[in-house]
Amino acid sequence: MILLLPAVGVMVLLAIALAALLQFSVLEFIPGSLRTGGLTTRNLEAVLKPQYLRYIWDTVVLSALTTVLTLVASYPVAYALARSRSAKLRSLLLVLTLAPFFTGAIVRTYAWMLVLGTTFIPWPVKLLFEPAGVLIGLVHFSMPTMILILAAAISHIDRTYEHAAASLGARPWRVFRRVTLPLSMPGVASGSLVVFAWTFSAFPTPELLGGGRVKMIANVVKDLALDAFNWPGSAAFAAVALAVTFLLLAVVTRALARAGGAAA
Amino acid sequence: MARRSRVAVLLAAVLLFTGPARAADPLVVSVWGGNWKDTIEKVVAKPFTAKTGIPVEFEVGGTLDRLAKARVAKAAPLVDITFTTSHVGRLYMSDGLFQKLDMAKLPNANELAREAMRSDSHVGVWAYVYTIAYRPDQVKMNITKWADLWDPQLKGKVGMPDFDPSHIITISALLEGGDERTWQKGQERLKRLKPNVAAFFSTDARSQDLMKTGEAPVQVMLSINAFHLIEQGLPVKVVNPADKPGVVGIDTMAIMAGTKKSDAAHQFIDLALSREIQEQLVATFKAGPTNLKAVVPAKLRGQPGVFGTPAEWKERGYIMDDETRATSLPAWKEWFNASIVAK
Repeated sequence: MILLLPAVGVMVLLAIALAALLQFSVLEFIPGSLRTGGLTTRNLEAVLKPQYLRYIWDTVVLSALTTVLTLVASYPVAYALARSRSAKLRSLLLVLTLAPFFTGAIVRTYAWMLVLGTTFIPWPVKLLFEPAGVLIGLVHFSMPTMILILAAAISHIDRTYEHAAASLGARPWRVFRRVTLPLSMPGVASGSLVVFAWTFSAFPTPELLGGGRVKMIANVVKDLALDAFNWPGSAAFAAVALAVTFLLLAVVTRALARAGGAAA
Repeated sequence: MARRSRVAVLLAAVLLFTGPARAADPLVVSVWGGNWKDTIEKVVAKPFTAKTGIPVEFEVGGTLDRLAKARVAKAAPLVDITFTTSHVGRLYMSDGLFQKLDMAKLPNANELAREAMRSDSHVGVWAYVYTIAYRPDQVKMNITKWADLWDPQLKGKVGMPDFDPSHIITISALLEGGDERTWQKGQERLKRLKPNVAAFFSTDARSQDLMKTGEAPVQVMLSINAFHLIEQGLPVKVVNPADKPGVVGIDTMAIMAGTKKSDAAHQFIDLALSREIQEQLVATFKAGPTNLKAVVPAKLRGQPGVFGTPAEWKERGYIMDDETRATSLPAWKEWFNASIVAK
């Protein structure tokens, strides 16, 4: 029981912070002042306007696309990392996967700005300051985590199932499709959940690669709080976004659990 | 003997940790980081310490981070002096975070331009303008006025701040016969600028990056940043717009309410406003002095944001009303995000 105390302490602190956020969200905003007025529902009404709901929708779409693309791009790498017979290849893949963790998100994003911009590469379509550019940055940012989660899941699959399928005449692709992939679904589910959740709260990638044109929830919270000095409005938007996050995570968790169960 | 030496060591320790520290209680100055802090440290703080014996420490951060910090530390301020922009100073004042300045303790304030006295609590230390800066190597046309920003030749080339769209909103309104109070007059004009916008930036550093990489070679830019890029060897032209003047920004100093070092803080501010220090600040920042007696280097005279006489202050820059700006910014920002930034 005593071992739970630190966790309980952290939870209490988070609950206090959340309570402060919710309290601020219902206080009246006075333009040009840091003081707040009395209780009001105006902040919540304001952030439920189409303009703000669109930011939430954009965040949902970008997070979902990032999750799917990250999964597709990461699976082959994770498979090779878990299954390659060459120790050298496995080491190389591991180093390449871990390397981004040793560079900060800001450094990586600045590097992407140079790559996606037209200064060095004359891209036929505009990528920088467009949703596509933000998506590329988010996928790159998420891949290392997804790869590690998937590789762990794949390496835990008992290979005798695959051998049994092969010995019964299944070709490698069929073995993968009918045995390996379904058995790796717990990893797919956890990886997707993690990537979806943290992309939902992404800040530096859309801030820098979006050039102000592509905004996700965290960017709008910052806009309201630090640029417009509207702290109650910012708190209200953060509270709404938090509610949407919980709701979506519940839906995604359920869907993934169902998919994992069906696959098993 | 051993006992005596132990007592001596103890006394020395007490003296070391209490005595000298009390004598040199530092003045804490809140300011922007990087070149801002370095320059203020070198140009103002060092002479101040040499003159008064009071050391100066700095708390650095962005304009609004520091505002947020000051607010939560209201009961026991962590800093004695704050440098901030004039309209954000209004926000500090709205929450009672600044104390009233004792003008009798600021004799150098008598030499200031009238526009530099932003309120009875904050006073301008240097000026600049938001104006057009562009790279002639990447833009074929010669830009001479604000209206040129709307030229179809600049399609996808313009960068502007989105953290504070006050300047372009005000300019659009001025071009349509309004001003910041009747900003709606410029809304339609500003919407027509959308095709020309390449990117929005949220910090000065990003603005300079966009200019360097050529992603946004025409910008509504802080004159100081433009001069900085020129100094770095980048081909940048800073425009003195012919149709409407640049929008003036005045950075200010104020003393925090509740500070126990009010006298020292007044001395610091007075020193920063003195002619000699102002001349050094101007030369370093390429900004305009607020002290009218400060001599501006010849190569800076007449440049955007550098005003040397009361007439220049009046004619060569447009100064927004701080109160209007502070109260309208949330609405401006919301409209700007919805109508200009959004695709």
